[in-house]
Amino acid sequence: MSVKSYLKPQSVTDALIMAKTHANYLYFAGGTDIQVYLKQQLIKPDHIIDLSDIGELQNIASNDENISIGSMTTLDAISKNNSIYKDFPLIVEAAQSIGTPVIRKTATVGGNILVNNRCNFYNQSFGWRQAIGSCLRDVGDLCQVTKTSGKCFSRNVSDLAAALFCLDAKVIISNQNEGLELSIVDLYNQDGIDFHKHLDHDGILTKIILPIDAGSTWFKKLRIRNTLDFSSLTIAAKVYDNRNFRIGLNGVSMSPVLITGNLDMIDLEGIKSLARKSCKTVDNDMMPLKYRREMIDVYLDQWWVSIQK
Amino acid sequence: MIKVTLNINDFDRTLLVEPDENLLYTLRERLLLTGTKKGCDQASCGTCTVLMDKKPILSCITPTLRCEGKSIHTIESVAKNGKLHPIQDQLVKHGGLQCGFCTPGFVMTSIEFLEENKNPTESEIKEALSGNLCRCTGYKKIIEAVKAASEDMK
Ligand SMILES: Cc1cc2nc3c(=O)[nH]c(=O)nc-3n(C[C@H](O)[C@H](O)[C@H](O)COP(=O)(O)OP(=O)(O)OC[C@H]3O[C@@H](n4cnc5c(N)ncnc54)[C@H](O)[C@@H]3O)c2cc1C
Ligand code: SF4
Ligand code: FES
Ligand code: FES
Repeated sequence: MSVKSYLKPQSVTDALIMAKTHANYLYFAGGTDIQVYLKQQLIKPDHIIDLSDIGELQNIASNDENISIGSMTTLDAISKNNSIYKDFPLIVEAAQSIGTPVIRKTATVGGNILVNNRCNFYNQSFGWRQAIGSCLRDVGDLCQVTKTSGKCFSRNVSDLAAALFCLDAKVIISNQNEGLELSIVDLYNQDGIDFHKHLDHDGILTKIILPIDAGSTWFKKLRIRNTLDFSSLTIAAKVYDNRNFRIGLNGVSMSPVLITGNLDMIDLEGIKSLARKSCKTVDNDMMPLKYRREMIDVYLDQWWVSIQK
Repeated sequence: MIKVTLNINDFDRTLLVEPDENLLYTLRERLLLTGTKKGCDQASCGTCTVLMDKKPILSCITPTLRCEGKSIHTIESVAKNGKLHPIQDQLVKHGGLQCGFCTPGFVMTSIEFLEENKNPTESEIKEALSGNLCRCTGYKKIIEAVKAASEDMK
């Protein structure tokens, strides 16, 4: 046994005090992502801080301008919330594409936004990793994909992040200082090891704010089975009434990728070329690299056809 | 170790558990409730499904200490006074099991699903059970059994 204590704070303030006083802790939301990392000995915390008793993290509130979602709201709960369903069908579609119906009853919105990056050579059992000599992100010194020691290209796989990027969502973080409000886009680093930003000083993601804004949305996810499997490519897109668009891509780079513009200023080929330049896609998924790259174009073609109607 | 009281199948059980122990281990190894099966042990097969406050959870990834104050129901609580639950009954009638290893998970997932959805379509049943894997039956008979059980439960 390596974990020394299992802590259940009743408020964000409590959680922050526990974080300050317990070195090498782990925030635990639904645990549907992080438990597998614990089992595969990819992380070895001394203390687990379970956020599930914190009521203030489970609220959904709305006004005329926005909806705010507590980070501990489950994916199942957001799919069944009438306000979210009415104003943000894209969020419901993205949430319902994650895991399985049972997993979604435990998995949280915050946990999905902060889901750990994945790679075929890293998300494996201890024995498997040992047999290949480990890798840069683990205890080795070479990336098994590029065979160099420079950089890790593990993929961000949050389906909600792709959707939240195109909805221009904000996130609120509480920490040992004054806390932060920032665009969700600023939460991510193009780095396969250090993939989240602004969570230092024991940062807890507390809320997601979605501005209510008219427009048409589109969502598509590529994976081997239509259930259980993580994304090999997720594309979410929104076109606003003034023909501005925001496209969120994920599963194909170290962080979610955002492409923005105005449909009167750029054509489909221009958007595809931007997507190709922005995604650092490498061969570390179940689906072949060439196919995943081609599918970015295929999905963008499909989105383009859908907005011509 | 930490002392914890759990309400399992409507009985309070007080026991000592490790801080990072999962409910599946507690049920099978400490309480000898071996009806709940260990398949993948990483949230990918559904065979360890139990109900927590009437909702299905995967016991292989649920910390036991998170279950304090909640009510847990396992497959052992489903048949009452020797009478099978309609889902179990229909699985038997339809031949919806062969080795039976996945069956407790399918039953526990279906119980909550049929409580929520009294008149499910075939595609809704498929979606609801999409996290439960079966290596024997090919699913068809399981889906038919759940549909038939929904009629019995009306
Ligand atoms: C079979 C299976 C299929 C899956 N399929 C998908 C999929 O298709 N798409 C997908 O995106 N994910 C998938 N997942 C991963 C996971 O289930 C989801 O991403 C889920 O939403 C994670 O939420 P959680 O609450 O369980 O997070 P946890 O596992 O509890 O946490 C995830 C990470 O976020 C951190 N964290 C969580 N909440 C906070 C917070 N409020 N503040 C600070 N840090 C926090 C944790 O420390 C941890 O590092 C799958 C998992 C399994 C087992
Ligand atoms: S991309 Fe390379 S360094 Fe990163 S997890 Fe995969 S094999 Fe390891
Ligand atoms: S043993 Fe829990 S999901 Fe497979
Ligand atoms: S009956 Fe054997 S795995 Fe389902």
